[in-house]
Amino acid sequence: MSVPGFHRPKSVEDAARLLAETDGARCLSGGATLVAMMNASLAEPKAIVSLAGIPELAGIAELANGGFRIGAMTRHAATAGDARLAGTLAVLRDAARQIANPVVRNMGTIGGSIGFADPAADYPPALVAANAEVEIANAAGRRRVAARDFFVDWYTTACGPGEFVTGVYLPPPRPGAGLYKKLARVSGDFAIASVALSAAKDANGVSIRIAVGGCGPRPIRADAADALLSAKFGDAAAAAAAGEALAAAADPVDDVRASAEYRRLVIPRLVAETVAHARAALEAR
Amino acid sequence: MRIEGSFVVAAPRERVFAEITNPALMAGCIPGCEAIEVIDPKTYRARILVEVGPIKARFNLVVEVKEEVPPERVVSITRGEEGTRASVISSNNELVLAPAEGGGTEVKYVAEVSVTGRLGKFGLGMMKKKAEALGAKFAENFRGKIEAAAAS
Repeated sequence: MSVPGFHRPKSVEDAARLLAETDGARCLSGGATLVAMMNASLAEPKAIVSLAGIPELAGIAELANGGFRIGAMTRHAATAGDARLAGTLAVLRDAARQIANPVVRNMGTIGGSIGFADPAADYPPALVAANAEVEIANAAGRRRVAARDFFVDWYTTACGPGEFVTGVYLPPPRPGAGLYKKLARVSGDFAIASVALSAAKDANGVSIRIAVGGCGPRPIRADAADALLSAKFGDAAAAAAAGEALAAAADPVDDVRASAEYRRLVIPRLVAETVAHARAALEAR
Repeated sequence: MRIEGSFVVAAPRERVFAEITNPALMAGCIPGCEAIEVIDPKTYRARILVEVGPIKARFNLVVEVKEEVPPERVVSITRGEEGTRASVISSNNELVLAPAEGGGTEVKYVAEVSVTGRLGKFGLGMMKKKAEALGAKFAENFRGKIEAAAAS
């Protein structure tokens, strides 16, 4: 293979221009995915646009509304260790903490992970449960897309040609709990199935958002599951019905980790377990 | 992996058979088909581009018709590789045309496909979904051409 051209722009605008102008160009963030894909001859970019020199893409900033912006270049370890992501937003920290191993968590970034959009990865369902938005830049400017609309298909996002992820916006955390449960063959593997749940609790009751990973082309969610759990959070029958609704919405495939049928059967159990843990966390507050 | 599907076309079986064995028409129906070339009446060469997320694969395929029973059955073998690349694909295909209930023709296809090399690393489960989506797109294209021609 030929050696790709290498660019290291200093601003989002310059990066967007390079991506638009350069045929076959791809963004490099942490390299945890792209470099592995290049080593396996699965990706062969003609040019690489490194995002490492763009200061605004690094780190987690609190916003005026109490929410947060996580820059695309923020490493998984930084997200996992940020205590400000509390209450309902703890779901994202819990997911970040379970990605792969310490080497990958110190290297991989949130922008790189969600830009690749492997449906068995940990961030996609967690971002849906956290009701996050993804910021996308192109040569004409920037736009924001709800996480639930950002993931479109297997390894396919709402990013069009010449677009890239610049950050993730989180709403202000609400008091409550956020959990991510992952079923994997061994610690650090991609999920056979995973469940991300955020539970906001106030005087009016409980409000739940739940999403399943590893069981379809993108994070699986169901309005019925959110509604059932929000109405009767303590109820085992409601949790079972929510699990069935999510299993029905899933579209799993057979792969090296598990069969599609196994995944359909395991979703309701993983949902019930996650709900029970979230309930215990709410009661312990 | 086994890829199968079926669809109904609002046209008589003889006509569907004639069109589905017409390389020029098929080139416009197969998703990602960039070129098709007739080597002899039983052998075709085709170039097909398949894209899955960040991966682009351009296959050079040779389709050999093994058995043809007008207007109901075609058995063929497809073999191909990805240019100089290390992915090899082969498949045994069967196409069956039957009169559909309520008129028209039902087209059924079954292919036993094997993929090795760099794409084999990527997960056959997801590739099967992709193949099924391409099959549905083909059905839509084919039906569009045949039914539009019948209506005009």
